[in-house]
This record gives sequence, structure tokens and C-alpha cells, in this order.
Amino acid sequence: MNIIKRTHVLVAVAGLWLSFGAVSRAADVSADVKVIANPSVSASEISSEDLKAVFLAVKTSIAGSQVEPVLAKSGRAHDEFLKGYLGKSDATLITYFRGLVFTGKASMPKVCDSDAEIVAYVAKTKGAVGYIGAGVAAQGTKTLAIR
Amino acid sequence: MTRETVGIDNRRASGARLSAAIRIMALGTVLCAAPTALYAQEFKIADKAVQVHGFGSQGFVVTEGNNWLTMDTTHGSGAMTDFGLNASSQLTKKFRLGMQVYARNLGALGEFQPSVDWAFGDYRFASWLGVRAGKVKTTLGLYTDTQDLDFLHAFALMPQSVYPLDLRDANISHLGGDVYGTAPLGRAGSISYTAYVGHRDDSVHSAYPYFLLARGTHDSTYLGYQWGGDVRWNAPIQGLVVGVSGLGERLHGEGIRLGLPNREKSRRPDTTAQYFSQYAVGNLKVDAEYKHFNRDHLIRNFNSEDVADVRAWYVSGSYRVMKRLELGTYYSHYTITSTFLGLVDTTLPSGHDYDKVVSGSIDINRYVNVKLEGHFMNGYGFGPYPNGFYPQVNPTGFAPTTKGLVVKTGFNF
Repeated sequence: MNIIKRTHVLVAVAGLWLSFGAVSRAADVSADVKVIANPSVSASEISSEDLKAVFLAVKTSIAGSQVEPVLAKSGRAHDEFLKGYLGKSDATLITYFRGLVFTGKASMPKVCDSDAEIVAYVAKTKGAVGYIGAGVAAQGTKTLAIR
Repeated sequence: MTRETVGIDNRRASGARLSAAIRIMALGTVLCAAPTALYAQEFKIADKAVQVHGFGSQGFVVTEGNNWLTMDTTHGSGAMTDFGLNASSQLTKKFRLGMQVYARNLGALGEFQPSVDWAFGDYRFASWLGVRAGKVKTTLGLYTDTQDLDFLHAFALMPQSVYPLDLRDANISHLGGDVYGTAPLGRAGSISYTAYVGHRDDSVHSAYPYFLLARGTHDSTYLGYQWGGDVRWNAPIQGLVVGVSGLGERLHGEGIRLGLPNREKSRRPDTTAQYFSQYAVGNLKVDAEYKHFNRDHLIRNFNSEDVADVRAWYVSGSYRVMKRLELGTYYSHYTITSTFLGLVDTTLPSGHDYDKVVSGSIDINRYVNVKLEGHFMNGYGFGPYPNGFYPQVNPTGFAPTTKGLVVKTGFNF
């Protein structure tokens, strides 16, 4: 019985540690990465849960606006965003989307080679949402605050 | 068997091994040399973007003990090829349409007969409510719908107790409709669900008809209705998923046995219950699943009854140790009992198959991979339903253990 109780306590502590870890990672990431959207997106902020849902093709609209995720091919902002908000590496994210594409559940999202390309694509594409380095200029887009 | 025929068999086997090795090398060379040809294609029809994706794989299997998966693996076999091609389009904000064609050859199965793998329309009202109609991949456990897409997994062969490669056709898709969605639970994460009804119609080139041939039955049809559901909790702990799936089926088969018409049917619905959990964070993935399959059939023109009971589970772990290298291991556990065959003791080799596996997967580039995998199997689980081992390719009887090496290369774009 004691062993069962001890196991429950250990599982609970591990769960809390992992949860707090995820929260603090997200907070760290927001200093390095900003999320931008096409001005057609009505929202000015987004929760980290919704952000994850949008970038995993679970959610296709936020605050009544249809949205389309835009991914970077590589780079520091890309790695930080994936790790902090999606909990995935580049390889596991690609695998995730291939799973959707090859079962017919979603299309492969747009992938851009650079921050500049992401800014240009988001600026011209209705509903597009992307992420870039926090210090990168993003003309023609709006920055979404992350709750 | 004379020394001469043994010599001919050995030369044939040697030729088959060489042929498979050449096929694997040729495929690898072509794919490595021309990666640009593998980019997904996107074009527009009436201003709508259409994406085209494809995949293919070629495997080579050599075993010691038993021939496996309908192949002559004790001599080495490369009769393990599959490929698929799909096209899909987001026609409106909420409606998408797509189709995938698929063909495979696995030993005596498939025989490169092309089939529609999935083809459906998908209307998503909101993230918590969508419907799909057509031929839809079945959501059952973690991997039923993606079990044959080996580029998604660390392993060349998924745990065969829960995802038997020979029985791929049985539950991978249904002709019917799904209702699905994901609902947020606030701080408790989110919950995803799928419910479906549909119809299954097995090809004569699939595993069950081939399996029945060994018992003197030539099945021409094996089909019926399916219904089921899946609920999975995406926990607030990053990467943790816990879920349960259920499937019911009412099936019947018709064919010829000993020159006379023969029929079988479900006395009660076949049932599958699957419980699963996954923890996937960063480069680490740990999976565990338990499956209980129960099948109560009236066989031999409904004059006999067989209750087969399959219990299967596995635990697997994989880790991407380098950008292009992923290592994995799993233990797969399978037992079967049958009232008709009097198979009740699952400690016998005929009542189980325990498989210990180590695997390595190398991504040559973004589109091409090579996998090397060792299997150490105890038992051959030969009951009233197939499980990898067939008497047709083991005519002198089964060995209690089997060791296997699988080499597989594949591409996707």
C-alpha cells in the first residue's frame, strides 16, 4: 500500500515538474520569438494552447478568422518555437504532418526558407500566421501577443 | 528431396537474395541521386491548390527458424514492396477532398493489385466537430491508420502483436463516415474523439483468405459492417496522450471447401478494444498499447462454432540520437486461444508470439530512409486467425523460435 502511495506521489511530482517546465519554456521562448499574422486576422492575442492547436492543424480559426500556419524550414526561432510551444523537434513535426497528409486529414503547411520570406508570405496571404525572431522587422503584418 | 533439387533451391534462393539486394541498392541509389524529383507537387485547378504526395518502400527479410509473413524468408526474401500516391485539395475554408491509391506485394499477399486506400470528403464545422465520408482510414489505437507508413516510425515493422503487417487490409480503413473533433478542457488539456460506421470488404489477396487456403477453404468474399470510436486525452503535460478505442464488426465469408460451397459468419459481433498511451517530447517517444480481440464465428456452413480470443500488447521506445539517426526497441506480446481448435494453453509456441526487437533508422536525406531491425521471436501463434506464420510456407511444420533481420528502405515526398 505504501509503495502504491509513494508511486502516486512520485507521478504527481513528475507531472507538476513537467507542467511547470512547459510553462517556463514557453515564457523563455516569447523573449526570442514573435508570432505574426496577416492583418485580416481579427485577434490581437492568442493563448499558447490555441497557438499549438493552429500549428498542429487541429484548429483552423481563431476569434472567427480562418487561419493558415506558416512554418520556417530551420533556424533558431524555428527551433525555439517548436520546442517552447509545440513540444516537438523539427523531425517530429515533419513526421506529424506527414501522418496527417498521408491519411488525408490535412495538407502540408507552407514552409519558408527565412524570416524575410515568412514576413513577405504572411503579409500577402489572408489568414496566414507565422513566427520569426523577436528582433526581426515585420512590415505589413501584425504581432500577436501570446497569453 | 535430392541433392540436385536442393542445389537448385539454393541457387534460386541465392538468386532471390541477390535480386532483392539489387532492388534495394538500385532504389537507394536512384533516390539519393535525384532528391529534387521527390519534392511534393502543388498545382492549381480552377484556382484551387492541389497537393500531390507519394511514398514507396522496399524491404528484405531473412529469418532463421520459420518462414515469415508469407515470404520464403529462411532463404532471404525481398518480396516486400509497397507504394502509394495521393492528391488532395482544400476546396473551401471548411471542406477538403482527397484520394490515395495504394499497392503492395508481401510474399503471397497483395500481388501489386492497386486499391483505393482512402478517398473522402471532409467538412469541418469547427475544431470540435467535423465529418468525413467516403473511404476513410480507421482510427483505432495509436497507429492503425498509419501502420504502413514506415517513414513515420522508427521501426521497419510495427509491433506485430497489435499491428500485424500481413493483416494490414483488415482494419486499416472503412467505407462509411466519421464524426470527429477536438475540444479544449482548459488547464486539463484537450480531448479528441472519433466515431464511425462503415463497411469492410477484404481483397482475395489479403491475409485471411490466404490463411484459409491452408485449411482447405477458398474464400471468395469476406466482408461486413464495422462501427467504432476512439477517445484520447491530450494531457496538459507536453506530449502525453492517453486513450481508448473500440471496434465492432459483423462479418461473413463465402467460398468453396472440399469442392462444396462454404460459409462462415459472426455469431456475435467481433470486438476489438484497444487502450493506449504515448509520451512524445523532443526526440523521445515511448508508446504502450494493449489490444483485446474477440471473435465468435459460426464456421463450416454454420455447423461449428469457434471463439477465438487474442490478447496483445507492446511497449516501445525510440530516441533520435542524431539529426539523421533514430534508435528504437520494443517488446511485443501476442497470445491466442481457440475453442474449435482446442487451443487453450498460451504457453505453447502455437499459443503465443513474443517478439523482442532492436531497430535503427537512418535518414539519408529529408525524403529517403534506410532501416535495419532485428527480431527475436518466441512462438508462432498459430490459431484460427493469421499472425505472420503460415503453413503454406512452412510445410514441414513450425519451429518454436524465429530470429529475423529486416532491411528496409523507403522514400516519401
